[in-house]
Amino acid sequence: MHNKASLALSAAIMACSGFAVYAASSWPWKAALFPIAIGIPVFCLAAAEVVWSLAGSADTERAMDFAMSDDVPAPIATRRTALTVAWMVGFFAAIALIGFPYAVPLFVFLYLRLQGREGWIFSVLFSAAVWLFFHLVFDRLLHLPFPAGWLF
Amino acid sequence: MIEAFLEGLLLVLQWKAFAFMLLGIVLGFWVGLLPGLGGTTTLALMLPFIYAMQPIEGFAFLLGMHAVVATTGDITSVLFGVPGEGTTAATILDGHAMAKKGEAGRALGAVLASSLVGALVGALALALAVPVVRPLVLSFGSPELFMIAIVGLAFIASLSAQGARGMMRGFLAGGLGLMVATIGQDPQAGVARYTFDVLYLWNGIDLVPVLIGIFAIPEIVDLAVRGTSIAGELPKGSLNKGAFEGVKDTFRHFWLTIRCSLIGTFIGIMPGLGGAVSQWMAYGHAAQSARTDEERRGFGQGDVRGVLGPGAANNSKEGGALIPTVAFGVPGSSSMAILLGGFFVLGLVPGPDMLTKHLTVTFSMVWTIVLANVITVLACFLLLNHLAKLTTVRGQLLIPVIVVLIFIGAYTGNNHYGDIIVMLVFGAVGWLMVVGGWPRAPFVLGLVLGKIAENYLYISVARYEAAWLMRPIVLVLIALAVAVICYPLIQSRRSRARAAARHA
Repeated sequence: MHNKASLALSAAIMACSGFAVYAASSWPWKAALFPIAIGIPVFCLAAAEVVWSLAGSADTERAMDFAMSDDVPAPIATRRTALTVAWMVGFFAAIALIGFPYAVPLFVFLYLRLQGREGWIFSVLFSAAVWLFFHLVFDRLLHLPFPAGWLF
Repeated sequence: MIEAFLEGLLLVLQWKAFAFMLLGIVLGFWVGLLPGLGGTTTLALMLPFIYAMQPIEGFAFLLGMHAVVATTGDITSVLFGVPGEGTTAATILDGHAMAKKGEAGRALGAVLASSLVGALVGALALALAVPVVRPLVLSFGSPELFMIAIVGLAFIASLSAQGARGMMRGFLAGGLGLMVATIGQDPQAGVARYTFDVLYLWNGIDLVPVLIGIFAIPEIVDLAVRGTSIAGELPKGSLNKGAFEGVKDTFRHFWLTIRCSLIGTFIGIMPGLGGAVSQWMAYGHAAQSARTDEERRGFGQGDVRGVLGPGAANNSKEGGALIPTVAFGVPGSSSMAILLGGFFVLGLVPGPDMLTKHLTVTFSMVWTIVLANVITVLACFLLLNHLAKLTTVRGQLLIPVIVVLIFIGAYTGNNHYGDIIVMLVFGAVGWLMVVGGWPRAPFVLGLVLGKIAENYLYISVARYEAAWLMRPIVLVLIALAVAVICYPLIQSRRSRARAAARHA
């Protein structure tokens, strides 16, 4: 997983930086200077990382960064990751369709009921509390403009 | 200078700025306690909300929040052996060992008091650095500032991962950040770069949704994968017991606390090192202070000095990290890179102006750090018993609330649905980076520095052509960048040779 993710990332960066340099080559030098100056070394480094990953050399280096928990079996972790992504994409779809003011309590309620397996009363009360916080802070206090959704 | 110093205090004490600082403290307080939500993530989450604020209010809010995260993060580390923040892991070694021995109150008292001392030392360093740094900053032109950006990126890329491959990934992440920063209309020639005829991309990729995506989404996914509450069961009994003894320990080992605070400040000043390094160096120094072997063996078993050192260094680093951020526009860490984004949101440009025209704003930051830490430490002492209960909030309740917050936070970047898509895309990039073992800090630094570095490079080339490379300070900075890249490699080779010699 570790090496596959690194390979996917470095291959994507290699493709993007290659395209970036190619596209910049037709621009005036003022606009092209920085993308080319950055793009070429990034392409070379990404290519080296791709070769390193494909060679399958042992990857023992650790980034000084947050690391994902490894105490959950891989199939369960993959399923939970996919579910979380699906919830987020679903929330975005709900925002686009019915707007933030309706999507927020709906998402919280459905997440608590379906994912969290919480009771009806708790889910309703918690969703109402989140909606109230959203309404008071972002709508009333900060006056953020939330457009209506495509449906209503 | 003294007038500006006092004016900075008065500005922070204005009711609106003070209220925003208190709000920031409250947010930072909870965020520090919860391991699932990092201080850097919260800083990114709250960045969009400062758009409507004045500079003093915006910094009081952001810094008030950020200044206290490490303090409350130490509480989780001590109680549960779970780092509340990535920067509070070293506190676990002796703090949690003390808690297991029934000295949780003493450990918490020590960590809170040393945090306060550390914060005061860091703030003092920031205040004292202003007159020293000012002439230096004013003598720097575009070529020097471009090279400082490169040195900062070299620092963070080479030190944020281990080994040659880790360093390469650091540079790749930094390069990716610089490349993303080039998206949008070019300021010099007006060319629409990498916009694919999408109007949203003409203004470039907004910093806020990228930061939210890259930091918050991997943490939410991890919380969902674990499927548990954040921390385990609460220890029984009153935690307040022995807290005053911990405060006395801080003064009993006062010079050790001061020395560790200075270590934290110094590492905070160095771009790319940050809190994760300073806490361990301070811990190492505290262990070095043991006079006998027997005393040294006590470290890791619950020696209070092992709590005082990291506690002090964690909080002193904030004042130190603000020095290069404010004076040069070179952030030393991810959180400072986000704070740098705050400067632009508030219409301020870091650099010489912050030491002349906006000196009172700079001093207001010093006062915010001091006041936020004093208020937090006092509140912690009053709430020690109740604080621990918060880490048992179920992940299933936390996740929907955080998801709602990040979507709203990303959307408010430009009030455009495109911001949410950008957040989700960079969330996937952040997740791949975490899973692949890539450091995210260089990416953020590259993204933040991209536009600044391009501007300085263009001015340098247009004004001096290739001669800018021969300016004395530029040559020194090039040598420094090379040294920064080579040193970890040489050090790694030496330690391998030493290990091989031992085996032989």
